[in-house]
Amino acid sequence: MTLRAAITKKRFWNIFALIVSTVLVGIAMGQNLTYQQDPGWQPPQAAITRANPLARNADAVGGGRKLFLRECTECHGREGNGRKRAADLVLPQVQKQSDGALFWKITNGNARHGMPSFAKLPELQRWQLVLFLRQLPLSASTAAPMEKE
Amino acid sequence: MKKITRYIFFVMLVALPVLAQESPYFVTYDHHLEQPGNLEIETQSNAGFPRHGEPSYFAPYIELEYGFTTRWTSELYLEGQSRSGDSTVFTGWRLENRFRPLAAEHRINPILYFEYENINEASRIQKETPGHATEFDVPNSESRHIRAHELESKLILSSNVHDWNIAENFIAEKNLSHNEGVEFGYSFGVSRPLGTIASAANCHLCRENFIAGAELFGGLGSTKGFGFHDTTHYFAPALSWQVSNNSSLRFSPAIGLTSKSAAVLLRFGYSYEIRGFKDKIASLFRGAK
Ligand code: HEC
Repeated sequence: MTLRAAITKKRFWNIFALIVSTVLVGIAMGQNLTYQQDPGWQPPQAAITRANPLARNADAVGGGRKLFLRECTECHGREGNGRKRAADLVLPQVQKQSDGALFWKITNGNARHGMPSFAKLPELQRWQLVLFLRQLPLSASTAAPMEKE
Repeated sequence: MKKITRYIFFVMLVALPVLAQESPYFVTYDHHLEQPGNLEIETQSNAGFPRHGEPSYFAPYIELEYGFTTRWTSELYLEGQSRSGDSTVFTGWRLENRFRPLAAEHRINPILYFEYENINEASRIQKETPGHATEFDVPNSESRHIRAHELESKLILSSNVHDWNIAENFIAEKNLSHNEGVEFGYSFGVSRPLGTIASAANCHLCRENFIAGAELFGGLGSTKGFGFHDTTHYFAPALSWQVSNNSSLRFSPAIGLTSKSAAVLLRFGYSYEIRGFKDKIASLFRGAK
C-alpha cells in the first residue's frame, strides 16, 4: 500500500468515526439530526407579531403539557426533539421564533411536509401549547444533560 | 352460518369502542381530517321511531377511519339493521374519501368528499338523508333484496370563528342500480367546546372535554323533482364527550320536521383512536425480521 493510499484510508476512517459518533451522540440526545426547516413555510407578518394572551398566566402551561403529550408526541417525541420523523422543537431556530409565529404554525400546519393543522383545538389551547413549547429546552436538558452549553 | 356472521357482527359492535376532540356531528362534516397515520375505530347507532305507527328500527354501524396524509382521510363503514317485530340484516358497506384541496386554514375551508356505497334498501343508518323520503313500512325480507350501488359526492365548507365551528355540506347522490336521477341533500352544523382552556390535570368531567352543537339536515329531491316535496328534514342537538385521551362518546336526538320524517332519531357513538397506528404496524414487521 502506498503512503498516499494509507493517508486517504486514515482520513476515511477519521471521517467515518466522526459521522458515527455524531449520529450516536445525536441518538443519545434523541435529536432529529436531519430536520431542515421548510423555507416556504412562513407566517405572515400580522401573525408573527401576535402576543400570547396567556403570557402572564403561568398556570396555563400545565394544560399545554397535557395537550402536547396527547396531540404531539406521536411525531415530535416526548421531549419535543422530533425523534419520530418531525421537527426538533428544541432547536434554536424553532425557539427563536415569536409566540405568534409558533401559534400560526400549530394552527395551519404544513400539509406538504407532514405537520397537521390543529385548528380543531380552541384558540386558547393552541396558545397553551406555545407556552409549553417554551419550556421544552428545560425538559430536554433534564433528559439529556449533554445538551447544556 | 348466517346466524354466526350476524352474531360476530354484533359482538364486534359492542366490543369495539368511536374519536378524540371529536366534533359532536353525526351527519355534518367539518374540515378537520384524521391525523396522518392514526386509525379511529368508531361504533355508532341510529334508532329511528317513525311517525305513523310503522315499526321502529335500530341501525348500528362500524366505521374505520384512517389518515393517509394531512390532506386525505379514508373511511370504511359496515352496517346492519334490526326492525322491531322483523329481522336483523346486514345492509352493506361504504367507502368514503375526503380531500383537502387548500393546505392552510382559511376563513372558509373546502373539503371534497367522494363515497361508494354497496348497500341495500334496508339500510337505516341515515348518515345523510338526500333525495325523497324513504318508506318505513317495507319489511326487511323485501328491502334487503333491493340493491343500491351508489356514488355520492359532497362539498364540505367549514369555518372556525372564535372557537365556534360552522359547517355546511351540499350533497349529490347517484344510485347506479335504479334510475332515480341525481338526488340532492344538505346538512348544516354549528358547535363549540364548553371550555376553551385545558386544565393541567387529567380530568374526565371538566368542561373542556365537552363539545355541544346542533345540526339541521335533509333532502332536496332530485333531478326528477327538485325541492322540498316528499322530503325529510331533521333538527338535532348534539353533544360529544372526550372520555379519555383516546376515546369519546357522542349523543344526538334528532327531531323530524316534516310529516315524512321519522318522529325521532336517537344516535349514539363511541370512538377509539389508535395514535401512530401506521408506526405500530410497521414496527410489528420490523420486529419479525
Ligand atoms: C403527524 C405528525 C405530527 C404531529 C402529530 C405534530 N407535528 Fe408538528 N411537525 C411535524 C412535522 C413533519 C414538522 C416539520 C414540517 C416541515 O418540515 O416544515 C412539524 C413542525 C412543527 C413546528 C414548526 C417547527 C419549525 O421549524 O418552525 C411546530 C412549532 C410544531 N410542529 C408543533 C407541533 C405541536 C404543538 C403539535 C401538537 C399539537 C404537533 N406539532 C404535532 C409533524 C407533526
